Amino acid sequence: MHALDFDYMLGLVPILLGYLPLTLEMAAAGMACALILACLLAVIRVTRLPGLNAFALLFISFFRGTPLLVQLFLFYYGLPQVLTFLVAINGITATILGLTLHFSAYMAESIRAAIVGIDRSQTEAALSIGMTRAQLMRRIVLPQATRVATPTLMNYFIDMIKSTSLAFTLGVTELMGATQKEAAGSFLYFEAFLVVAVIYWIVVEALSWVQKWLEQRLNRAYQR
Amino acid sequence: MTTRSISMASLRQAALALALGLTASLGATLAQADTLRVGMSGGYYPFTYVERDELKGFEVDLMNAIGEITGDDVEFVTASFSGLAGMLDSNRIDTIANQITITPERQKKYLFSQPYVYDGAQVVVRKGNDAIHGVEDLKGKTVAVNLGSNYEQLLNELPYADEINIKTYDSNIEQDVALGRADAFVMDRVSATQVIKDKPLPLQLAGQPFSRIENAYPFRDDEAGKALKSRIDDALAKLRDSGKLSDISEKWFGSDITQP
Repeated sequence: MHALDFDYMLGLVPILLGYLPLTLEMAAAGMACALILACLLAVIRVTRLPGLNAFALLFISFFRGTPLLVQLFLFYYGLPQVLTFLVAINGITATILGLTLHFSAYMAESIRAAIVGIDRSQTEAALSIGMTRAQLMRRIVLPQATRVATPTLMNYFIDMIKSTSLAFTLGVTELMGATQKEAAGSFLYFEAFLVVAVIYWIVVEALSWVQKWLEQRLNRAYQR
Repeated sequence: MTTRSISMASLRQAALALALGLTASLGATLAQADTLRVGMSGGYYPFTYVERDELKGFEVDLMNAIGEITGDDVEFVTASFSGLAGMLDSNRIDTIANQITITPERQKKYLFSQPYVYDGAQVVVRKGNDAIHGVEDLKGKTVAVNLGSNYEQLLNELPYADEINIKTYDSNIEQDVALGRADAFVMDRVSATQVIKDKPLPLQLAGQPFSRIENAYPFRDDEAGKALKSRIDDALAKLRDSGKLSDISEKWFGSDITQP
């Protein structure tokens, strides 16, 4: 048992914080792309668009059924051996792509559940007063579904931030990669990984506050 | 160092690749002639490691010295060790500076430069473990090696290989032996000695090195790889003649590990 090297830990904080923007940017970009893709998939599933529905089912089944690390290796190292032009995709792009595809599969299902969860009588009422299907979706169903889906989607975003730690296997030095290299140089594993754990924790905790605020806002219409 | 913030280009790439359903035709970042992209793990003290955000080590110094002679811009790309070969194969880096040992299997696939480090495979155990005195005592023991390293193969070639419980790791084998989760690890003698001397882990060498190894730079077996190999071989020969190669070794190890 050795005493904690506090000086080393303090010195590490600003260094590791320098890599936090990349971690957050990859997660944010992944989240934005995943949201768009997940909404498309959810709408396809809800409306059972002929042809596309089968594709959406297959897509969700594959990306939910295989580990993210396997998908990242498959696309980054595997596919370029078959389709050589894919080499042009760099590690950061590949990570964002991997996060997008993987998490959109999960998010599509929670968005679908939120849409399906809106009472049918509302749909009937809207159609009876002459709204089109698109108007019904935009004005009645989606605003309510957003409120229901927000907590789960924030959960996926938190998960996504932490999943960026896999990017070092694709040669991207993000928060975790930087920590691993520092630990390999100093052999002070406990100190290094403790510092990075606290950084991730604080970031996620800050996000939980954002989530709380967002949920309160979305709840305003329901408060009396 | 790799780019820290996402460039617009890579965001655009992501969007485009998504939009086209992965049929993107992206020609932006193909190999450039005058930039030498060198892959390393950044986690192999004292060959390549990071201290206070700075990439350092024997491999870094030597490759920079080579770059000065050839006139190439050296760009270091760090990735976990198990990802490096994939990056070389998929043309994302041009060579690997990570004490890559020449083996017959690897020679079938890659071109190798002249060796620049001569070393031996070493068994290392937790301090105070006097039951293991070398590779012959590993029967029935749990032995840690790095994933994809030649030490895994060296162990598998032993006549009693099936009696050794070989555990492969992506990183941190030293720590798992120090913690007692594995009985021993095998890596090169030079860095094992250096780790024990410089770092706070309770470890000791077990017996003598058991296999001679020669380390060199691997290249893809194509025209560009051949050209690069001869360029780097010339530079290595010059550094050897001028004594600079020995100087770099002395700086990091206090001895010359570059002589056969």
